[in-house]
Amino acid sequence: MGFLLDLRIAFRSLFQHSRRTFFLATAVAGVTALLILLNALSTGVSETMIRAATTLSTGHVNVGGFFKVTGSAGGPIVTEYEKVIDAVRKSVPEMDSLVHRGRGWAKIVSDLGSTQAGITGIDIKNEPGFRKVIELSSGRLEDLAEPNTMMVFESQVERLKVKVGDAVTLSAQTTRGAANTVDCRIVAIAKDMGLLSKFGVFVPVETTRSLYQLRSDTTGAIQIYLKPQFIPDVAAIAARLRGQLEKLGWAVMDADPNPFWMKFQSVAREDWTGQKLDVTTWEDEVSFMTWTLTVLRGLTAVLLTILIAIVVTGIMNTMWIAIRERTREIGTLRAIGMQRGGVLRMFLYESLLLGLIGTGTGALAGAGLGGAINAARIHVPLSVQLFLMSDRVQLALHAGGLVRAALFITLVTSLAAVYPSYRAARLKPVSAMSHFG
Amino acid sequence: MRTLRFLAAFGLVLMLLAPRVAAALSKAELVDLLKAVDERQRNQGDWRDLVYIEQKEKDKVDVAYEALVFRRSQDQKFIILFTKPKSSQGQGYLRIDKNLWFYDPSVGKWERRTERERIGGTNSRRSDFDESRLAEEYEPEDLGEEKLGTYNAQVMKLTGKPNIDLAFPVIKLWVDKQTRNVLKRQEFALSGRLLRTSYYPRWKKAYSESKKTDVWYPEEMRFYDEVEKANSTLILVKSVDMRPLEPNLFTKAWLESKSR
Repeated sequence: MGFLLDLRIAFRSLFQHSRRTFFLATAVAGVTALLILLNALSTGVSETMIRAATTLSTGHVNVGGFFKVTGSAGGPIVTEYEKVIDAVRKSVPEMDSLVHRGRGWAKIVSDLGSTQAGITGIDIKNEPGFRKVIELSSGRLEDLAEPNTMMVFESQVERLKVKVGDAVTLSAQTTRGAANTVDCRIVAIAKDMGLLSKFGVFVPVETTRSLYQLRSDTTGAIQIYLKPQFIPDVAAIAARLRGQLEKLGWAVMDADPNPFWMKFQSVAREDWTGQKLDVTTWEDEVSFMTWTLTVLRGLTAVLLTILIAIVVTGIMNTMWIAIRERTREIGTLRAIGMQRGGVLRMFLYESLLLGLIGTGTGALAGAGLGGAINAARIHVPLSVQLFLMSDRVQLALHAGGLVRAALFITLVTSLAAVYPSYRAARLKPVSAMSHFG
Repeated sequence: MRTLRFLAAFGLVLMLLAPRVAAALSKAELVDLLKAVDERQRNQGDWRDLVYIEQKEKDKVDVAYEALVFRRSQDQKFIILFTKPKSSQGQGYLRIDKNLWFYDPSVGKWERRTERERIGGTNSRRSDFDESRLAEEYEPEDLGEEKLGTYNAQVMKLTGKPNIDLAFPVIKLWVDKQTRNVLKRQEFALSGRLLRTSYYPRWKKAYSESKKTDVWYPEEMRFYDEVEKANSTLILVKSVDMRPLEPNLFTKAWLESKSR
């Protein structure tokens, strides 16, 4: 009963000072909405990055590596990959699925343009995850099962000036350095998936073997996808797999948290020849992009700290004014029997109610605004795409995130009221009743 | 009457074919011809020249480099040191044993590159600046004679010998029958696709003290990209000097010192 009474008094007090309540609640709502939008942006960037990376270029854990024919000539090749797959199946019980893909780098030449791109060889029949994520703007993904076909992204279409059905030439050097070409037919054009899709095309894995003159028992990398509950443990799983492969007799490269294409120089400098495997995580393979996420999270933290400091100062000031205005009321309540704890609760509830109203409104406003931004599919220029990892603004609005943001700001506003409320509760009834102000 | 006409036509065909059949060279003769092509370009000593490289690419600004080339026949050592433009000054390639190293003074690092590397990102290769070693690297096959402008050219197909790593596994070569200078080359990919056509319109000779005779070199080379048709590369060879070079020139330290 006492709780409801205290709550009613707090609510009436807020209602009585409606203008002050309105301004404060609006400020709290604004900060909450901003927190939600900034969190949704960084979560959106993170999710886009993981989604794009694990679809286009990496598994959660990868077994790639290099095969060197001579000290300086070699390529990103895994030989006798089926044996490696067997070892992976035995060593990684957390695995959900795996695929193997060819890797390379080549010049793509069309009748009207050319571009350099990463070449990924794919067995489309065994890539259900790929088919679910890739959105096509024209063509058919199934046709990628035919030899010497190619899927490109929309941004590459602009450079190559091609359409489905057009022919392009892939030109590259084999692992022994001999020039080679393969003529391919464009069978599908996919919608862009951020930065990663700008520099990569997909061809059947047989086409990569033919271009680089590789045997049929070779591939570029084995991409391992983990069951969702094990994804946070990728680093430990990769370290364990590295040890297991070494025990089974493979030469394994030291852990190096960089994507495979950044390792060409260091591998070329070393004098070994033959096969060395390299175990990496998805974070290693996209490490050249994660700085954007760190910057975004840093900016969010700085901005929110400033805004929260302003709101906390505002709430504390307002509470001090309220206590000063209501000193005689406090004195009277104390005189008719209200305990110090009651006074403390009364002011704390007032702040809590204010926080709940403000954050509730802010959460709704933030979610609404975020939804509207997503619905508007706002395209951003290339320089911003490099930062956002997407060609449009993509906010990740999750119910859990909204509730957490609202509770966090409510907690902050309530804590801001603790000290003023405590001071109000410490007022002596006689001096409070005789207060004029 | 019909039989007579047929015999006359047959005789005409035989007459037309006769020079070709007569010109067919044996494998040994083709190898000798290739050796002669190599030999007249080899100075058996040290070599220094100044090259001008111009690269034209579709939708891109033309790129021009000036570089110094140093070679030593004895151990097949080789250096290209870029002198112009300013952004490339001090960059260079160094061949030691069978390794080609690239040095960029802006990062101060050496990178190991394949010998088949495109020099400075142009359509030229290390072999375009180096001594000709066609007889060592390729097996010739006779493709007959052909008139190339005013020149009578011996045409041959060169196929890379096994276990030799080559940028172009197949070459079609036109050699001037009279001078034994290369007039034209077509270079093919493993897939059989024509990648590059090269023309050698101007040859010059210089006296080599080490060889005690004249050495021939192409003063102008023009490479036409056959995959990206609009791209081409021009190389001009100037200031050839065959006096002995300093002994410690073919080292990383020497190349590094040039950018300090």
